[in-house]
Amino acid sequence: MGSDPGLRLVRSREPNDVDALVGRVAVGDSDAFSRLYDAVAASVYGVARRVVRDPERAEDVAQDVFLEVWRKAPSFNDARGSAKTWILTIAHRRAVDAVRRNESQKKYDGRASVDEVTREEPLDGLIEAEEHGAVRDCLETLTSLQLESVRLAYFNGYTYPEVATLLDKPLPTIKTRMRDGLIRLRDCLEGAR
Amino acid sequence: MSTDVHTLAGAYALDALSPEEAAQFRQHLDVCESCRIEVREFQKAAAQMGAAEAVTPPPDLKARVMALADRTPQLPPRTSEGPTAAPATGSTPGPTPGPGAGPDSGPTIASIEAHRGQPAGTSRRWTTWLAVAAAAVVLVGGGALGARALLDDSDAGLAAAPVQVFEAQDAQTATVETRNGGELTVAVSPSRKEMAVDTRELPALDDEHVYQIWSVQDDGTTVDVAILDDPGSGAAMGLPEQGTQVAVTVEPKGGSEQPTTDPVAQVDPYAV
Ligand SMILES: [Zn+2]
Repeated sequence: MGSDPGLRLVRSREPNDVDALVGRVAVGDSDAFSRLYDAVAASVYGVARRVVRDPERAEDVAQDVFLEVWRKAPSFNDARGSAKTWILTIAHRRAVDAVRRNESQKKYDGRASVDEVTREEPLDGLIEAEEHGAVRDCLETLTSLQLESVRLAYFNGYTYPEVATLLDKPLPTIKTRMRDGLIRLRDCLEGAR
Repeated sequence: MSTDVHTLAGAYALDALSPEEAAQFRQHLDVCESCRIEVREFQKAAAQMGAAEAVTPPPDLKARVMALADRTPQLPPRTSEGPTAAPATGSTPGPTPGPGAGPDSGPTIASIEAHRGQPAGTSRRWTTWLAVAAAAVVLVGGGALGARALLDDSDAGLAAAPVQVFEAQDAQTATVETRNGGELTVAVSPSRKEMAVDTRELPALDDEHVYQIWSVQDDGTTVDVAILDDPGSGAAMGLPEQGTQVAVTVEPKGGSEQPTTDPVAQVDPYAV
């Protein structure tokens, strides 16, 4: 797989690199925008692929994400978090919006079952990102219900009431499992640095 | 939900709330610092989870993104403090009928209207405004105005419908200075056949006045488009026919059937 010509390794960069690039994009620097794309496109597209699944729609989502980043870079405020978090938060929200727009049309028809969607299925061209190892290890610190709740919401774009229905648990249980799961993930990732 | 609401921070950071609940939770975030911090940390953790799924996008995506950015204007940075100018400075209170209003309302209106196809003088014929039933401009979503804020921080306050127009891929935007010392940003999306206004930089009005949006047809007739109960939410509307302009006036609370003041801004959507 490493010889796949379509595969390009994402060079690991300092977190500040993305912040600095967004700062330059904020003043209309298209060269910085090009480098920003190179730095985060795989992450953005990866999130879109995981959530919307269809490669073409994932591309549309990624394109919209970058356009939003371009337009809003002047308002990006690093006091609220890193630029990469900002970009991936936009990516996830747009991916989820795309799924829900689609789902609201066909509702539950053809939706994958829980068993199917929670199974790990590596996507073509999956990149061994720098975060991968730490994230995988940290996800293992979650209870299985926490993990399922977090994953169904984040990777499948389900709302927490939908997750509650799928897992056949009361709403408050799912709400707290999502929060508790993120607390564990956050604490573990903090410790991993 | 007073104590319970904090637990939504997790679901919120995972985008697992309905738009209504997310809007409610955002209001909670305004007053709850611990949730704000938690959401920030959760979003960071979620982003790391997402970044671990990196997949190389198709190579042609970059060219498309760069080309789009190349012809897309950036939004101005948000200033921390909105304008707090005195209510409606410069707008004439009360009706300004009569032909004498012409010169007064004309050149002082900052506008980006195009004058193509219009005899001079007719585009701002406020005195001949008439109510017409057939609205050339229709609000999207049956009430984008006063709708709850549904967006993330970067669109703080803007309602969903206008933001969709501002974020359309082919959206063209322009910012005009208003006659009362504020700014009005307009977005036009030909593909969506919609336009939207970002009214967050309009000067705040006192409790007795509101901003009202009108469409102005090329014969001077006006149609009420919307009353901005909450200027922070912006407005979206169908793209009017060519020759129709969009104007904003200051009106008494509750709005007027016809404009009673000169517009603080007037825009030709086809010139954006
Ligand atoms: Zn709280």
